[in-house]
Amino acid sequence: MEAASIAHGHAEHEHHGPPPANRSSRVEPQLLGMLLFIISEVMVFGAFFTAYFFIRVVSGDRWFPIEENELPVAVAGINTAILVSSSFTMHWAQTSIKNGNRFGLKAGILTTFVLGLTFLFIQVNEYVHIGFAPHDFAQGSVFYGLTGLHGAHVFVGLTLLLTVVIRSWRGHFSPEEHRGVEVPGIYWHFVDVMWIIVYSTVYLL
Amino acid sequence: MAQEETRQDEAAATEAEAAEAAERRTPRRTAAQMIGVGLLASVLGVLGGLLIDWFPAPGSTQAGPIDTLWDVLLIASVPVFVLVTVVIAFSVINFRMRPGEEGIDGPPIHGNTRLEVIWTAVPAILIVGLVTYAYVVLRDIEQAPASGRERVVKVFGEQFAWTFEYNEGGRRFRNAQLYLPVDESVKFEVQSKDVIHDFWVPAFRMKIDAVPGITTSYRVTPTAVGDHAIVCAELCGLGHAFMRQTAHVMTSDDFGAWVRRASAPAGGGGGGGASGGAPDGKQLFAAGKDSTGAQPCGACHKLSDAGSSGGTGPDLDQALRGKDAAFIERAIVDPNAEIAQGFGPNVMPDNYRSTLSSAEVDALVKYLQDATK
Amino acid sequence: MFAKLSAPGWYRAALYLLIGLGFSYVLSIGARAGFGYDPVLDGEAVLQIALIAMPFFFLAGMGAFDYWYHWAAGRPTLPEDHSNHGARRWQDYFKVNTDHKVIGIQYTVTSFFFLFVGGLIAMLMRAELAAPGRQFVDSNTFNGLFSVHASILIFLFIIPVFAGLANFVLPLMIGAPDMAFPRLNALSYWMLPVAGLMMLVSFFAPGGSFATGWTAYAPLSETSPIGQVFFTIGVQFAGASSIATALNFLVTIITMRAPGMSFFRLPLLVWANFSTSLLVVIATPFIAASQFFVLLDRALGFDFFRVAGGAGGDVLMYQHVFWFYSHPAVYIMMLPGFGIVSEILAVKSRKPIFGYRMMAFSLLAIVVLGFTVWAHHMFVSGMQSWIRVPMMVTTAIIAVPTGIKIFSWLATLWRGVLHLDTPMLFALGFVTMFTLGGISGVMLAMIPLTIHVSDTYFIVAHIHYVLFGGSLFTIFAGVYYWFPKMTGRMYDETLGRVHFWTTFVFFNVTFAPMHLIGVQGMPRRVADYAAEFADWNLAISIASFCLGLSSLLFLYNIIASWRGGPRAAANPWRALTLEWQVSSPPPIFNFDSVPTVVGGPYEYGVPGAVHGVFKGGAEVPQPAGAREHAAAD
Ligand code: HEA
Ligand code: HEA
Ligand code: CUA
Ligand SMILES: [Cu+2]
Repeated sequence: MEAASIAHGHAEHEHHGPPPANRSSRVEPQLLGMLLFIISEVMVFGAFFTAYFFIRVVSGDRWFPIEENELPVAVAGINTAILVSSSFTMHWAQTSIKNGNRFGLKAGILTTFVLGLTFLFIQVNEYVHIGFAPHDFAQGSVFYGLTGLHGAHVFVGLTLLLTVVIRSWRGHFSPEEHRGVEVPGIYWHFVDVMWIIVYSTVYLL
Repeated sequence: MAQEETRQDEAAATEAEAAEAAERRTPRRTAAQMIGVGLLASVLGVLGGLLIDWFPAPGSTQAGPIDTLWDVLLIASVPVFVLVTVVIAFSVINFRMRPGEEGIDGPPIHGNTRLEVIWTAVPAILIVGLVTYAYVVLRDIEQAPASGRERVVKVFGEQFAWTFEYNEGGRRFRNAQLYLPVDESVKFEVQSKDVIHDFWVPAFRMKIDAVPGITTSYRVTPTAVGDHAIVCAELCGLGHAFMRQTAHVMTSDDFGAWVRRASAPAGGGGGGGASGGAPDGKQLFAAGKDSTGAQPCGACHKLSDAGSSGGTGPDLDQALRGKDAAFIERAIVDPNAEIAQGFGPNVMPDNYRSTLSSAEVDALVKYLQDATK
Repeated sequence: MFAKLSAPGWYRAALYLLIGLGFSYVLSIGARAGFGYDPVLDGEAVLQIALIAMPFFFLAGMGAFDYWYHWAAGRPTLPEDHSNHGARRWQDYFKVNTDHKVIGIQYTVTSFFFLFVGGLIAMLMRAELAAPGRQFVDSNTFNGLFSVHASILIFLFIIPVFAGLANFVLPLMIGAPDMAFPRLNALSYWMLPVAGLMMLVSFFAPGGSFATGWTAYAPLSETSPIGQVFFTIGVQFAGASSIATALNFLVTIITMRAPGMSFFRLPLLVWANFSTSLLVVIATPFIAASQFFVLLDRALGFDFFRVAGGAGGDVLMYQHVFWFYSHPAVYIMMLPGFGIVSEILAVKSRKPIFGYRMMAFSLLAIVVLGFTVWAHHMFVSGMQSWIRVPMMVTTAIIAVPTGIKIFSWLATLWRGVLHLDTPMLFALGFVTMFTLGGISGVMLAMIPLTIHVSDTYFIVAHIHYVLFGGSLFTIFAGVYYWFPKMTGRMYDETLGRVHFWTTFVFFNVTFAPMHLIGVQGMPRRVADYAAEFADWNLAISIASFCLGLSSLLFLYNIIASWRGGPRAAANPWRALTLEWQVSSPPPIFNFDSVPTVVGGPYEYGVPGAVHGVFKGGAEVPQPAGAREHAAAD
């Protein structure tokens, strides 16, 4: 079907592609798109923080520990360290490919991926042992809501990282063309920064 | 090149022509005429607007300021609308394209700072005025009475009825009907047992949502003796449209008499057919049974004998006339078995079997049978 | 057969849908068994998972993800493969297509389908409301009707139809060959029919469709039957679609303008969509979150809005989160219309738009102010009372930038040469009707009045004056205006005018009396009402049927003209903006070479003014009027 329509088009047009678009901004479209997407994502978190604010501050419900339920601040602290270090390995991967160091790219991106996976694993483990469920009280809903939302973002980030892993193993990316590392990297940094905010508000404050 | 030149010549020609056309088309009279028509239309519009009978009859001291605010808003906004409409009408009449003008363009006016400043500033001033006035009205209608004495009536919303709790002279009691003395300030403290409702008495002009988990409130001073509709104004489910009751505003004396009757310990003592003694059907009808959550029938049904006037469910004076005890009992404990014409299923609670004892159900049936003979 | 099932398209989509259904069952049963729930097979659980999962299977089946999948897997991709670009046969409109013009038409046609569905539902509502008491439907069905009516018209008509029109014309206007992310654009479109269908089939859910209004306030939306979930999840897809489109518009406008197209040479439609897209990107996540909360509460027993038994939820939080999106959403539904009207009024008055810069700045002012007023929908909600007065002030202030726009349009008309054809009539109708709706909005900002009229038909009147008299009039104007460009055909002018006048008259007869019955005390969202409102309601219902019939004129005009209307010239309106400088319909890649912009977009009446020139010499044919004028002589 498709082949037919291409041939059909062929007969009438000499010209096969669009004229190259004018670049009216120095920002890369992909980069700008990712930044705008991150603004949207920040707003999703903003809405969840609104829930946090209303339940903790406006309604004045008490925060953890609630009925002997404590948050594992220390374990989550270690987890924070893991996620933060994954931002550095991500940065390593990014600078490596800019300098044409393929080994650095591969090692960096793989470490990042593994660290992210570890984070997610510890997080799930925390859920299993934490001792309260989202339906026990609204503070629990907020806790699971915020950390779960963040976990979902880690999952999305890991999926993006996976494509980078696959592509770098298949020999893609070069010092000239590495947007495919750059853009997921930005997302990954965002996921990290967001975790620091979630950790400080939910566990520490 | 030559083509270029002709085009420029033509453009110049058009410009001259356009200028001439503009001259021809903007008679100096237009603006004056337009202002005249605009003023006239504004006056007529405002008068017409004020003549319309917008509001239901006022029933509280809050109604006055709100109705006046409406009039002020009308006076302020009719001229704005007239202005826009008149300018468009005049433009359409004076500047519409006439035959032969197909190729002409208007004068290239790009803006005029003075005008733009005016039409930013004037609405801004108007807005500031209106907002200030509205703020004054708001203070006015929410102010506590000068005497400081005020009755508090608790209002409980649930799907799909209101109940009211009084605290008169130290006696606490509930009723499915709202009774208020005239000219005394009352503060409603509104709560909800399930979803959001909204407690609105159009004659009082005031409303507030009944929100699960918090208590909301407003105050009114009723001024008109008589019955006023209570309307649920927040979508609360399938019975929302029928969640109607009546506020009875009465003289102080009548109200006192009503309080004595309503708060008198019922036949068996306690709020509505409690332990010991025979349950009182009329009391159950009017107040339900709070301890088990049985909703009062009178909240939703009209029954002359009990003086209730709810419109959520069928009018029992009509619906139960001449019906036997078995029919009435089934209608209470299994309301979805047979739905009266014009009403929907699942509106009435179907839990009376569990919230009332069988003795209580019997008492209720007996009462209803007697009352609708 | 196998080839059909493995190539992207409807067959594969059907197959994937089946797989998705199986997946939902397996996931649901597995999860319930794993957590030890009884029974393991729960219809509602399966349904909730299926509603989330199956759209993705469908989209994958249609081929919306194929390219990305190939890319992610590191397989060779062909960025220059344009086999999915452009439509050569009508069937191409039923495929995943990356051409912004095809997507624009897909968007517009789909949205209009939903206009007629939503309008038909309104007809049923008006039939029920023609007399007090029960006519045709019980109260639960009625609640479902207005909920679906509003949700369809807002999320599946007004918002996407603006995105559709802009999709078609915006890249042309700024001299771009396509949108910045054509494949994302296609994905945005294909999420729409999914969301719309989801909302419509909710009528078949046990317990009826979602019936909590388009606002779906918790906790009612958490205790109502399963039909509610069709809204909760449907909105997510509609929302994701609009975020993706907005992001696409922003990137396109920022990075793909033609040389010389500075921000202050952009046509105002582009400015309007720029502002709207900012609103969408920032605000839409909030409605997504509000529905996440409801879904989590319903499906997993979270306590966000549960207060019973000391659960500690906060009911009003729903409303804050919801309106933090949905107030900006009303400007999402109006600003693109402002853009359309600015285009039409300038072209049809043959004058430059008056106060171009203020027009652009007032859009941005509305965007900023729009985020500061959400609680004006909550004046009687029982929230902290101190929030009300600041919100009243900010709300009323929005009248100022909006007023700037209205007055500038009036000044644009003044001394122009007004071509009173159908697009112009609708544009003028818009200016008057929107002013009326806006004024009733300013009245609603006044707290003491809102305490009385909130949740009455006065609100219903306001809604329809701004959404029908406002947004829908601009949409009609825009569709007539760009019809020649989009289809290459002319519409029937006489029929168009008849459509305008019948719509204008019956619109007012339908909705103006609602102001009165609202103030008199008729609540909204009721299937039954007090006898005193019977006469007005009967009149309103009759007028609304006429209004419905008048929209059939439009339908006929569009269909007949598309099939057999006279061929349209490239630039029948003698407009300066770039979309009119290419053929009607435009060539598959828009331009042979990107034009260079050398002047403003609205220089009508300025001798020799030029907006854009194409490489290769010839400047864009100028409408200085001379040519046609000479011909007319
Ligand atoms: C296109 C959609 C749209 C638009 C543009 C608007 C515009 C405005 N709206 Fe409206 N609104 C809705 C759609 C819209 N609204 C909907 C759907 C609801 C109901 C939601 C629901 O509950 O279901 C609603 C509800 C609503 C409420 C809540 C009512 C309630 O439920 O209690 C309020 C209250 O303040 C309000 C106010 C306003 C104001 C002040 C504007 C302003 O932006 C208007 C500004 C415009 C003008 C004022 C006209 C032009 C200006 C001039 C000519 C200048 C001079 C004018 C003056 C000085 C007055 N709207
Ligand atoms: C873009 C938005 C939009 C549009 C275009 C409309 C169009 C119409 N609306 Fe609606 N409406 C809303 C948005 C809109 N509405 C919203 C947001 C609400 C609030 C809901 C809520 O409370 O949650 C609402 C609520 C609402 C109510 C109040 C319901 C209630 O509170 O109980 C009513 C009642 O009359 C109504 C009527 C109509 C009518 C008669 C039309 C007409 O204009 C429709 C005209 C018809 C068509 C355009 C096409 C259909 C015609 C045919 C297919 C031909 C068939 C013809 C015949 C059978 C005669 N609408
Ligand atoms: Cu209670 Cu509506
Ligand atoms: Cu609003």
